[in-house]
Amino acid sequence: MRKRYFIGGGILAVAVGLLVYASLGSAVSYYLTVSELLDKGSELYGERVRVAGKVANNSIEWDADTLELGFVITEGGEDLLVVYEGARPSGLKEDSNVLVEGEYRSDNTFQASTIILKCPSKYEPEE
Amino acid sequence: MGTAEIGQGAIILAFLAAIVSVVVAGIGAYTSSRRLISITRISVISIAAFYSLALATAVFAFLTRDYSLRIVSAHVDSNLPASYALSALYADKAGSMLLWGWLISLFSALIAFRKHEYDNSILPHMLCILAAIQVFFLAMVTFVGNVFEQNPTPVTEGIGLNPWLQNIAMLVHPPVLYISFAAVSVVFAMIIASLITRTPDDQWVRWVRRWTLFGWCTLGIGNLIGMWWSYNELGWGGYWAWDPVENAGLMPWFLITAFIHSISVQRQRNRLRRWSLVLAIFTFEFTLLIPFITHGGIESPLHGFIHSYFPPYILAAILITLAGSLGLLYIRRKDLQRDERSFSLVSREGAFLATNIILVLLTVVVLIGTVLPRIVELFSGTRIAIDRSFYDRVAGPIMLVLVFFMGVCPLLGWAKTSWKSAKSSFLFSLLAALLVAVVVLIVGGGKWYVISAIVCCFPFFVILLEWFRGARARHQGRKENYFRASLALLDSNRPKYGGFLVHIGIILIALGIVVSSFYSVEKVSTLDIGQSMKVGDYDLTYDELLLKQDNVKISTIATISMSKQGRLIGEVYPENNYWFYYSPILNETFREVAVRTTPAEDVFVYLWWTSFDQQDKSATIIAMVNPLVVWIWAGGGFLLLGGAIAFSHQDKRESQHKDRR
Repeated sequence: MRKRYFIGGGILAVAVGLLVYASLGSAVSYYLTVSELLDKGSELYGERVRVAGKVANNSIEWDADTLELGFVITEGGEDLLVVYEGARPSGLKEDSNVLVEGEYRSDNTFQASTIILKCPSKYEPEE
Repeated sequence: MGTAEIGQGAIILAFLAAIVSVVVAGIGAYTSSRRLISITRISVISIAAFYSLALATAVFAFLTRDYSLRIVSAHVDSNLPASYALSALYADKAGSMLLWGWLISLFSALIAFRKHEYDNSILPHMLCILAAIQVFFLAMVTFVGNVFEQNPTPVTEGIGLNPWLQNIAMLVHPPVLYISFAAVSVVFAMIIASLITRTPDDQWVRWVRRWTLFGWCTLGIGNLIGMWWSYNELGWGGYWAWDPVENAGLMPWFLITAFIHSISVQRQRNRLRRWSLVLAIFTFEFTLLIPFITHGGIESPLHGFIHSYFPPYILAAILITLAGSLGLLYIRRKDLQRDERSFSLVSREGAFLATNIILVLLTVVVLIGTVLPRIVELFSGTRIAIDRSFYDRVAGPIMLVLVFFMGVCPLLGWAKTSWKSAKSSFLFSLLAALLVAVVVLIVGGGKWYVISAIVCCFPFFVILLEWFRGARARHQGRKENYFRASLALLDSNRPKYGGFLVHIGIILIALGIVVSSFYSVEKVSTLDIGQSMKVGDYDLTYDELLLKQDNVKISTIATISMSKQGRLIGEVYPENNYWFYYSPILNETFREVAVRTTPAEDVFVYLWWTSFDQQDKSATIIAMVNPLVVWIWAGGGFLLLGGAIAFSHQDKRESQHKDRR
C-alpha cells in the first residue's frame, strides 16, 4: 500500500525535477563586471549575461524619437558600449551604477534588454 | 525622562519579562505546578504590556517628530503626512522587528488569557516556546539594532520617507504580513508543545486550525497588497517579478496552504499526521526566511529598501529551531508511527495528499531559483543570475495543474470512493468548460485565453455544481428557495463552503495572471504637446504638461486624453516627480502612474520621462493595456471573504471528535 504513495510522489518529483533541469539551462546567465566580461571575451559572444558597471562620463546618447539609447559602462579600467532600444531610464546619469542584462555581441557591443539602476549604497542616510 | 529612555526602559523590561517567562514556564512545564503556571501567565501578559509601551513610545516619537531619535530622523520629515509617519516605523529595519515581536507578544498574551482552552500540561510549554521566540526578537531590537538609538548630535529636520513607500498599500502591507508571521509562530509553538507533551492529535488540530487560517489569510492578502503596490507604485506594468523578496513571501504561503489541507485530512480522517507536523515546522522556518531575505541576506535588485545586520542572527535562529524541531520529531517517531494507516489514492484525502506534494514541490522550485545563485557564488565564486523565465516555465505549469486539481478534490468523497459517483459531475463540468473554451475561440481569444478558460472554468463549474446540488437538496427537503438554501448551506458547513469561496478567488487570480501575462500590450513614445500615440484599441493624446513645486518635490503632471475607436472616454493625469532629497541619492524620479480600470482591462499610463523644464514639454510616455488585472484583486476579495467564513467556524470542544474515533 505504502509503496504506491512513494511511487506516485516520486513520479511527481521526477517530473518537476526534469522541468527544472530543462528550464534552468536557458534561464541562468552569468553575472559579471565589465572587466570580467572582457576577460572572457569571445567565449561569451551570443550569450545572455548581466553586467555591472558605472556609466562613463559624456557617454550617454539618447534619441527620444527613435527611442535609441547608447552609453558606455566602465569598471576596472575597461569600457563596454551598451545599446538599448526603449524608454530611457530616468535615473541613468553619468557615474551612476547600472546593471545591464542582455547579449554580448561579436562586435564587442552589448545589446541590453533591461537596464537596472542600482541604488547607491548611500541610500541609508549617512550617520 | 525623554522618549528614548522610556522606550528603551520598556524594551529592557519586556526583555527581562521574556526571560523570566521562559524560565518559569520551563520549570512550570516540568513540575506542572499550578502556581508557576499562573506566574508564567502573568509574566507573559506583562511582556505584551511592556512591549506595547515601547511601541506606543516609538509611535509617539514619530507623530511628534522627535528628531533626537535616529529612527525618526532617518525616516520622516515635517512634510510627511501623519499616517505615513506610522509606516516609517516599519520602513526601519529595527522598527519592523519591533512591530513583529510586539504582535507575537500580543498573541502570546491572548493565549495566556484564554487558559481554559488549553490543558495545564500544555499551556506552560506553549508559553515557554513563545516567550523564547520573543527573547530572540527583543534581543534583536536591543543589542543588534537599537530602535531607540539617539542621534549623537541634535538634528533639526528629518530625511523623510522614501517616496515609493508613501503609498496606502505600504501602510498596510508590512503589518498584515507581520500579523501572519506572528500567527504562524503561535501555530509552531502549539505544535512543538503538543509533540513534547504527547498531546493527542485531535486536540492540537483543533487548537491550531483557526490560528492557521488566520495566518494563511493574512499572508495571502499581505502578498496581494504587495503585488498591488508593485503594480501601482513601482509602475513597471507588472505585479510580480519573481524577485527574491516576493518569492520569500510566496513560499510560506504555499506551505501553509498545504498545511491547511493536511490538517483537514487529519480532522476528517485522522491521517497524514507526520506530514502535517513537518509542514507546520517548515512554514514557520520559511516565515523567518522572509526577514533574512528582505534585510539583505540575498541580494534583491528590486526591493533593496533595507539592509541590516540581522541576517546572520536570523539564519542562526532558523538553523537552531529547525534542528530542534526535527530532532524532536525524531525522538517522537514511535508515537507518530502509531495508527498511521494508509488510504486509497482515489479519495479526497488522496487528492489532498497529491495537492500537498505539488505545493511542496512548487516551494522547492521557488527556493531553488531564489537561493541557487547565492549558493553557486559561495562554492564556486562564479556569480550567476536566474531570470524570470525559469519560474514562468516551471512554476507556471505546476500552478495551472493545481488550479485544475481544485476541481477534482470536491468530486471525490472522503475514504474510499469510486470514480463512478464522481463521473457525471466531472464530465458535466469538463464539457461546460470546453464549451466556454470553444466560445472564447470563436470570439477570437488567443491560445492562452482558451487554455485558461478550460483550466479555470472546470473547477469553477465543479464548485457551482456542488453548491447547486446541496441547495437543491435543501430546497426539496425544507422548501427553502434556492438563494436562501445556498446561504444556509454556507452557514451549515463554513469550512467547506468558505473553502469553495477561496477556491473561486484562486481561480479568478489564476485567470487574471495567465491572461495579463500573455496579452499585455506595451507602447513607448516620446510626444510633444498635441501628439498622439496608439496602444491596443486606445488613442492617447498628450494635451498638456503642468509643472508644480512644493516643499519636497517638483512635479510634472501630464494631461492625457484617451479615446477608444474615436470616442473620447476620459482624461488621465500621470505624474513624474523629482524629489529634492530622494531623487539625487536614489538616482531616480518618482512617477505616479495613471490607471484606468475596467473589468476587461487596465489602461496603464506612465509618464516616464520629462525634462522638468518649462520650455521643453516633450515627454516619453509608456502606455500599456493589461487585460484582466482587476480580476486578481477581486480574487483577493474572495480569498478574504472565504477565509473569514471558514475562520468563523469554531470546532465544538471534544464533541464530534470522540464519535469519529
